[in-house]
Amino acid sequence: MRLIQGHGRYASDWNMAGQLFAAVLRSPHAAARIVRIDTAAALNAPGVRAVLTHADAEQAGFKSIVGGVALKDRNGQPMKKPHYPVLAKDQVAYVGQAVAFVVAESATAAQDATELIEVEYEEQPAVVEFADAVAPGAPRVHQDIEGNVAYVHEHGDAAAVEAAFARAHRTTRLKVDSQRLVCNPMEPRACLAAFDAATGRYTLHAPSQGLIGARTHIEQITGLPAKDVDLIVEDVGGSFGIRGTPYPEYFMAMLAARTLGKPVKWVGSRSDTFLSDYHGRALALCGEVALDETGRFLAFRWTDEINLGAYAGPFGAFIGTQNVSITSHGVYAVPAVYVRSTLAYTNTTPISAYRGAGRPDIAYAIERLVDQAAFEHGFDPLELRRRNFITPAQMPFKTATGPTYDSGDFPAVMEHALKASDWAGFPARRKESEARGRLRGIGLASYLEAAGAGTFNKDQTAARVGDDGRITIFCMAGGSGQGHETTFVGVFADELGVEQGVIEYRASDLAAADLIGNGTGGSRTAAGQGSAFKALARALIEKARPLASALLGGEADYADGRFSAGGKSVGLIDLARKMARGADGRHPLDCEAEASSPATFPNGCHVAEVEIDPDTGVTDIIRYTSIDDLGNVLQPMLVEGQVHGGVAQGWGQVFGEHAVYDRESGQFLTASFMDYAMPRADWLKGTFTRESHPVPTATNLMGAKGVGESGCSGSLPALMNALMSAVRPLGVKDLQMPVTPVVMWRTLNQTARKAA
Amino acid sequence: MYAFEYLRAGSLAEAGDLLSKNPEAKILAGGQTFIPTLKARLAQPTHVVDVARIKDLAGITVTADAVTIGAMTRHVEVGNSAEVRKAIPALAALALEIGDQQVRNRGTLGGSVANNDPAADYPSAVLALGATIITTSREIAADDFFQGMFATALAEGEIIKAIRFPIPKRAAYSKFHHPASGYAMAGAFVADTAKGVRVAITGAGASGVFRWSDAEAALAKSFAAAALAGLKVDDSNCIADLHAGSDYRAHLAAVMTKRAVQKITG
Repeated sequence: MRLIQGHGRYASDWNMAGQLFAAVLRSPHAAARIVRIDTAAALNAPGVRAVLTHADAEQAGFKSIVGGVALKDRNGQPMKKPHYPVLAKDQVAYVGQAVAFVVAESATAAQDATELIEVEYEEQPAVVEFADAVAPGAPRVHQDIEGNVAYVHEHGDAAAVEAAFARAHRTTRLKVDSQRLVCNPMEPRACLAAFDAATGRYTLHAPSQGLIGARTHIEQITGLPAKDVDLIVEDVGGSFGIRGTPYPEYFMAMLAARTLGKPVKWVGSRSDTFLSDYHGRALALCGEVALDETGRFLAFRWTDEINLGAYAGPFGAFIGTQNVSITSHGVYAVPAVYVRSTLAYTNTTPISAYRGAGRPDIAYAIERLVDQAAFEHGFDPLELRRRNFITPAQMPFKTATGPTYDSGDFPAVMEHALKASDWAGFPARRKESEARGRLRGIGLASYLEAAGAGTFNKDQTAARVGDDGRITIFCMAGGSGQGHETTFVGVFADELGVEQGVIEYRASDLAAADLIGNGTGGSRTAAGQGSAFKALARALIEKARPLASALLGGEADYADGRFSAGGKSVGLIDLARKMARGADGRHPLDCEAEASSPATFPNGCHVAEVEIDPDTGVTDIIRYTSIDDLGNVLQPMLVEGQVHGGVAQGWGQVFGEHAVYDRESGQFLTASFMDYAMPRADWLKGTFTRESHPVPTATNLMGAKGVGESGCSGSLPALMNALMSAVRPLGVKDLQMPVTPVVMWRTLNQTARKAA
Repeated sequence: MYAFEYLRAGSLAEAGDLLSKNPEAKILAGGQTFIPTLKARLAQPTHVVDVARIKDLAGITVTADAVTIGAMTRHVEVGNSAEVRKAIPALAALALEIGDQQVRNRGTLGGSVANNDPAADYPSAVLALGATIITTSREIAADDFFQGMFATALAEGEIIKAIRFPIPKRAAYSKFHHPASGYAMAGAFVADTAKGVRVAITGAGASGVFRWSDAEAALAKSFAAAALAGLKVDDSNCIADLHAGSDYRAHLAAVMTKRAVQKITG
């Protein structure tokens, strides 16, 4: 309610007395050497206070932007990571790379002055596509990385897979693209930085998914101790993974605030979002499956092409390695799996995590491969799945790729979805569509993903009790639209048995509670922080019990928010009110707790039914059914919203979204909403049925599995399989995302011409 | 955006005066194209003359044979006007299909027609209905007004006061929305008028809105979708860009024409 009534407080809502305003000069070129930067004219412009370039960042000791995990291949070779300067030094490697940072008395003056900075560029040839980057003789994105290959990742048992393919009765191969996307949170980036010379501390307001991770990055890049930076994050307008780490503007604003002795504010535009927020996806997955004569899967082999963009972004390398590998056989019992991913640099915006970060991509590739195998070898796609599902009796199931699935009932989830979607009634519905000149298709996907591994192995929570007995609870995971306030207050209040009105949730307030824990990401907070809040409620009860026992004159039992002993009772909140603070200011019931919650394996079965108008190529989604095993559902309405949002983002990728670069010049061609199609509510012409099929996990206190990214994992393959089902009868062999109306129209025309 | 001086004109005379005094001034109507252009720093006028509140440019008048709409009438007003809906329902429906609610609340008929964006909706209605553009200095027939992409017959400083739409016997508009921008990727306005059948295509033409004479001739003989069978829009002068080739746009123009006819004939 707070947010829809306009009471949210986002990064650009913060202001400080005497603040200055910043603007960024970005590279107009995809690849160029910087010969010279002349800032004199800009510095002399009215109202301009500073024009900062790489020289200033270097003088301040700023290091390379952190390129994620330290990877080493099977030969011990580390991933090649170029230096990623906060502001471009002697080269620019993508359109939109930050080159200079202007600070002035007004935002307009700062923006005007960016146009007075003279940068002499010497343009270089650019490569934007993976295939072009790894081709012999390709221009180098970074001079010291020959062939543009950053890393070759291998996972699984190559020899076992080789042997399985050698004895296979049948094989199928399918390569699918998961095209580059712009993540487009509703809130563009913004920051406000201030420096207090007296204390040496910084205050920074900026959108973030997690305080601890963000402060660690700030320390790694700027060299400032994390404890000297008060990162204050209240509301965040969408994160999707790309708000996980700080961006160059934040460091430069901090530097400028210290240098100029005034707070510095920067508010990005939607153009800044398109050009300089990390991008998502940008990979191609080529799958091969080996089958025996009964249709049992013997092995999966994956050969993946990962376009990293110009630099190693914070989570960029994680996506095409770990995240596409660990669940690369999905819900199926596959004895042998081998993954080989090649990660290459190109002259494009660096990629990072975006809603699933490789997990929707691999789920998509698996479920398209299974459908393709069914089609090629004459199996019913449902029957082929039934033959290969990991069964509940096999749980816990140790997979060939590493993780152990603790729980799940994949066959039952699919049967649930078949029933809910009236799969059996499809042929009649198809006839009815055909009578109206429309093509109708139905597609199914049984997805699984690994959610919630997290960076820290535990999440801490704290409770602080007010003199009025109200309890404020804290953790390090701030929300960006998920509804943490509702979920966590609900978990904590329910466990205590008190009304929710006496509980308040605050995220990321280190001053009140110095905690560690994961940020919001990887679909993990319900399981992770949820469990830690449940533990916190239990800790609070145990802390209160001796005090209650003393008051009541006997060993107190606790139920429904009250302690009772010997016929007397006292409410927990009343008890809290009676207690006096200690000398240290702490309330006797103040307490902390923590929980360790490992990865969960949310899964589900989505069924999409579509109708295509062959005259225009437009596809309507006629029915959408999502049956998900998300473990125990804590807040049904929020879970429903998460699934709707994830599914809709999948629709966006299937039907429209595409970050297109010019193959020659490296210019970014779809860098505004005029050219970049976002998903629209009216694409759904029929019904959306969503039901839960919970198989609770025992690996966390809540029994919850992740939900945030599951919608994408289900909708990409379900929809694409539905589209293939609609057009296969006409002889169409393949479709790749995005299937825009023109793509569908052209595909149908070309197929018709070939058939004629 | 770059800094400029904002001037609000209270009358047409004042607007004319402000424009002649400031040769680098631009007119602001609803601002739904112009403001984004300014924000992207693609225009740098010294002055912006806001004409949206000039009383002479407002209002809708309906007579027995024509609907006259003031240039500063917002799309939402045209779309929701009971009189327009009664006299030329296709025009009201077109207005409610422009952009989104926010655009329709601000955007104006005069602004759209003067800008002559090749993917705008109104130019097709103006051309197909054989409307007359009434300006501060003269009356211009629709057939003479549109002169290519973003180009019109308007002289420097000449302001559209109103547009007079003859009431057709029957008419309909059918639009294919661009998947990203929502503009017309192809839109067809079909009108059966006192002066014959007129078909105007927007969104597809590389020179902006145009009349599809083959379709007009076919529909004049037989006003039915079947009469269009086999007819093709010449794609040699259609827009080809990142989003669609000229063949697709030409094809869509024909499909939208057929659908507009079907809307009329049922």
